[in-house]
Amino acid sequence: MSVSTRQPARPRRIDDALSQLVDSLTPPLPITALQDDDLSDVDEALAAAEERRHAVQLEHAWHILDTHPNAPTNPADAASPGGRRGTISDNVNNAADLIKRKLRREHASPELAVKFSNLYSKLLTQPVLSQKWGILYLLYKLSGDSEHDPNDRSRSPLMDDGNLHNMLGRGRSAGRSAGARAVDSEDDDGPAVSSSASQRPPQASRAERQSTLREEWEAELGAYEKEKERVREGNAYQSSFHEASADRDEDRMRPSTAKPSFNEAPPDSVENRLLRDLPFNLQGLSSSHMHFESDSAIDLPNNLPVPMISLLNSLAEPCLLYKELSIFVESSEGGLVNQSLRAAIANELRSYLGLVATLEAEIRQALVAIGDASNIKGMRKGGVTLKRCMVWTRDATMALRLMSIIVEESRDKKGGQLISLIHGYSSSHGDPFVGAFAEKLLAHVTQPFYDMLWSWIYEGELTDPYQEFFVAERPPEHSNEDPRRFASSVWESKYKLSEDMLPSIITQEFAKKVFLIGKSLNFIRYGCGDSAWVEAYSKETSKELRYGDTATLETSIDEAYKTTMERLIHLMDTKFKLFEHLRALKKYLLLGQGDFIALLMESLATNLDRPANSQYRHTLTAQLEHAIRASNAQYDPPDVLRRLDARMLELSHGEIGWDCFTLEYKIDAPVDVVITPYGSTQYLKVFNFLWRVKRVEFALTSTWRRCMTGARGVLANVDDKVGPDWKRARCVTAEMIHFVCQLQFYILFEVIESSWDTLQAAISKPGCTLDDLIEAHRAYLDAITHKGLLGSASSRHGMSTSASARGPEESFLSQLHQILKIMLAYKDAVDGLYSFSVAEFTRRQELNAKIETRTAQGRWGVTERDILPRRANSRGGSTPDLRPASSGPDGIDTPLPLSAQDLAADDHMLTSLRSRLRELSADFRSRLNILLGDLAYQPDVDMRFLGVVMNFNDVYEPVKPRRRSAAPSSRDKEKERERERSKRKAAAASAAGSAATGSGTEGSAAKEPRRERREAPE
Amino acid sequence: MPSEAENKRQAARDVIDILEDISKILNTNLNRTELSLCVSLIENGVNPDALATVIKDLRREAGTSRHGPVDPQGAE
Repeated sequence: MSVSTRQPARPRRIDDALSQLVDSLTPPLPITALQDDDLSDVDEALAAAEERRHAVQLEHAWHILDTHPNAPTNPADAASPGGRRGTISDNVNNAADLIKRKLRREHASPELAVKFSNLYSKLLTQPVLSQKWGILYLLYKLSGDSEHDPNDRSRSPLMDDGNLHNMLGRGRSAGRSAGARAVDSEDDDGPAVSSSASQRPPQASRAERQSTLREEWEAELGAYEKEKERVREGNAYQSSFHEASADRDEDRMRPSTAKPSFNEAPPDSVENRLLRDLPFNLQGLSSSHMHFESDSAIDLPNNLPVPMISLLNSLAEPCLLYKELSIFVESSEGGLVNQSLRAAIANELRSYLGLVATLEAEIRQALVAIGDASNIKGMRKGGVTLKRCMVWTRDATMALRLMSIIVEESRDKKGGQLISLIHGYSSSHGDPFVGAFAEKLLAHVTQPFYDMLWSWIYEGELTDPYQEFFVAERPPEHSNEDPRRFASSVWESKYKLSEDMLPSIITQEFAKKVFLIGKSLNFIRYGCGDSAWVEAYSKETSKELRYGDTATLETSIDEAYKTTMERLIHLMDTKFKLFEHLRALKKYLLLGQGDFIALLMESLATNLDRPANSQYRHTLTAQLEHAIRASNAQYDPPDVLRRLDARMLELSHGEIGWDCFTLEYKIDAPVDVVITPYGSTQYLKVFNFLWRVKRVEFALTSTWRRCMTGARGVLANVDDKVGPDWKRARCVTAEMIHFVCQLQFYILFEVIESSWDTLQAAISKPGCTLDDLIEAHRAYLDAITHKGLLGSASSRHGMSTSASARGPEESFLSQLHQILKIMLAYKDAVDGLYSFSVAEFTRRQELNAKIETRTAQGRWGVTERDILPRRANSRGGSTPDLRPASSGPDGIDTPLPLSAQDLAADDHMLTSLRSRLRELSADFRSRLNILLGDLAYQPDVDMRFLGVVMNFNDVYEPVKPRRRSAAPSSRDKEKERERERSKRKAAAASAAGSAATGSGTEGSAAKEPRRERREAPE
Repeated sequence: MPSEAENKRQAARDVIDILEDISKILNTNLNRTELSLCVSLIENGVNPDALATVIKDLRREAGTSRHGPVDPQGAE
């Protein structure tokens, strides 16, 4: 008890317990132990001796305990008994693992290990102990003490290489396990690549073992290292202990483990040399025996027995594979994913090198042992043979082989393809080892991919220096796309989804979403100039992305998708006023704003009648301004009005202003993503067509107005002469007006308004994306151009109509143009008729006036001489003045033929006018019939309905499309010729008309005939 | 209170039972008393490694003293 007094700091309980322990462990002293001869008081002497010994041993124990607190696991443990260290509690599992391993190692059957596991789990549930690991560890150590069979460890040199010395002094008790262990199970569970391999029960299936090996590898390596260290510490003590123990059973062991082939000296020495070289070979270095001829060939010594050659052959495989892989690892070309694959493989190679290092230590120690003892048994017991090395490297070889296959296959792959390749191994390879290994690689390899994905969906930036991502920047020239449609569209043409880079870990649909998110972010940032929002967004929502966490990835992407889309639509609506622009386009280019268009047309009419080359932009814009200011358009926001512009299309010779005038609505970025340049031209096309129709309507109505007002005055006076003509003309004009009105009604209401309605519905849907918007707008434009009889190529792509539909439909537009042209020509003819009527009227007025003056002068109001020439003469007031002067002297012999000619010319003009009117109206009818026939067979209900509305009382007889299939070409040509003729006539007629009235805006061409005719009488 | 103490003792007994089983499996040659002494020592913060060394030492000494008439004093 001197100990306790000397060190009062020691807790009493420890002291007591220790002293009891010492007591129980020390056997009673035999009497012989007594030195003194005083046998009188044996008992007392014995007690005293025991007391002394007890004190000594206790002292010794305390000494050990006191020197130990600096053990690696628990500093100051003994000094502060109450202290509980968190780091130590970690070792609970560790100690249990050690025991488990030991049990597995020492017993062929796993029963004990299982039993221990059960007990251990029970123990864990007990709340009483706080130092479970400690007691377990203690038990473990103690078991090693009494149980330890040095022969055990020979099978797993990687495990307890600290005990190697034990092998040298093999004079120890083999313990009870030596006999129990099956000798032939030795090779089944060599340590191989993983230290844990040796602890698996032999009957565990290979596949199972392999799959779990990988997982345990990392975890156990650490534990194993620690253990090794501990074993080394205790080594000195242990070896001395074993040395001291009795040398038994040695002979019993020999036959069971010895391998006959190694008993001869010569192969042994060769094998030893080979073994010595093996670690270098395994690291891909040449040695004296095995020499690397090239990167892919190794030279084996050829003077060896066949079995050894075959062993070397299998050992050569990891050597070559390692060499190849290390070359791959050191190379540096390839993209980010390739580089990360390289890093992952380098990692694997490092653990392979770790294995080689342990192997080397084993080999060296084994060789030293042989050299020392010069005793064959040493090598045998050490158990490091080529065969054993081969077994140990088997799993590593497999991993190397797999990596080499991956490397081989990935040579011409990059990015997503590479990921797909490895993912293919991990998901669909039958061997679970391969699957698990590939999965592990994948976690590393996908890292750069997920980085790219991150920056794409959270920053909208494509950080992809090697084109490995499945989103690629489109090269500036994109000839494969329709250049019209995608001309400068940032949205459509900046990025593209490259399918071949899409890794198989990501689904198609998912990729599309990702693509859209990034594109939107990029667009918001650059197209809309709202990078602040993008930054804030990425800061607040971004999450780490990595492989294997598909569910989180998907939700975070869905979230990102929703947010960005909402933001984009919001920006489009508020900042860029997309919807306002759409409305404005409809109002102005699709003639939705009636008062504005009417005013514009009215004010521009006189201007536009002139040839195209006499149109000036400033007058046009001035008129436009006027129309805006005088109509309801003035209430539109100035931003919209600012974009409205009037200009002339490219001038072509001989056109009048009407043909070239166009309104324009300027769209700039980023709205041009929706209203593409192509869309703008479509708008312009529709506008031009509508403008034309409108113009015809305008012309017809103005003529109609003239007729109606004239009918009460001027025309009524000449009713006897041109009355029937006027009647017919009015009928035809009314027909035409009806046609134009129906056409306009159809286009504006059936087509534009209904399409507009669908567009509105589409873009106001919740969760609408920019792509939806673009698509809806495209559909809207297509509907208008297609149904508005303007058929454009793109509109029919989606339609199910056959290729033949192209013909009739394109002819719709030309048919309509023809009809409109006829209407204009007819209008001109009617104007001509009007002029004629007016001229006739004026002539009659003059005649009447003359009669009156003559009557007043007291002469006959009308003489024969007067009537004849006058009637023939349809010219203006100059003739009557001229006539008396010239006919004064020879009034009677006024040449009759001349008068007759005059009269004939007059009549001729009337007849030509009539025939022209007749022709035009007939032409109109026939063309209308054809059109109606075409319309009646349209697949579209609205278009059929247009036909019905135009022909509501069956006044026309629609021509079946089939009947005219052969006719049009010849007849059109004929018509063309006829029209040419009639045009000439009409020109003559109008010239005549204007000459008769002496007013109007006739050109110099019209004046020529007049001069001629004036000269003619002389 | 007595029941709690009883519970505690019962629990301690259970633990020792389990540990005894484990110790048997591992062939540590510790009897129940020694085991509970070890447990209490470790619970009080003694380094298990050191304790193992102590026990082994003691056993060795016991062994040597049993085998040959070695003077225990001489061992020092």
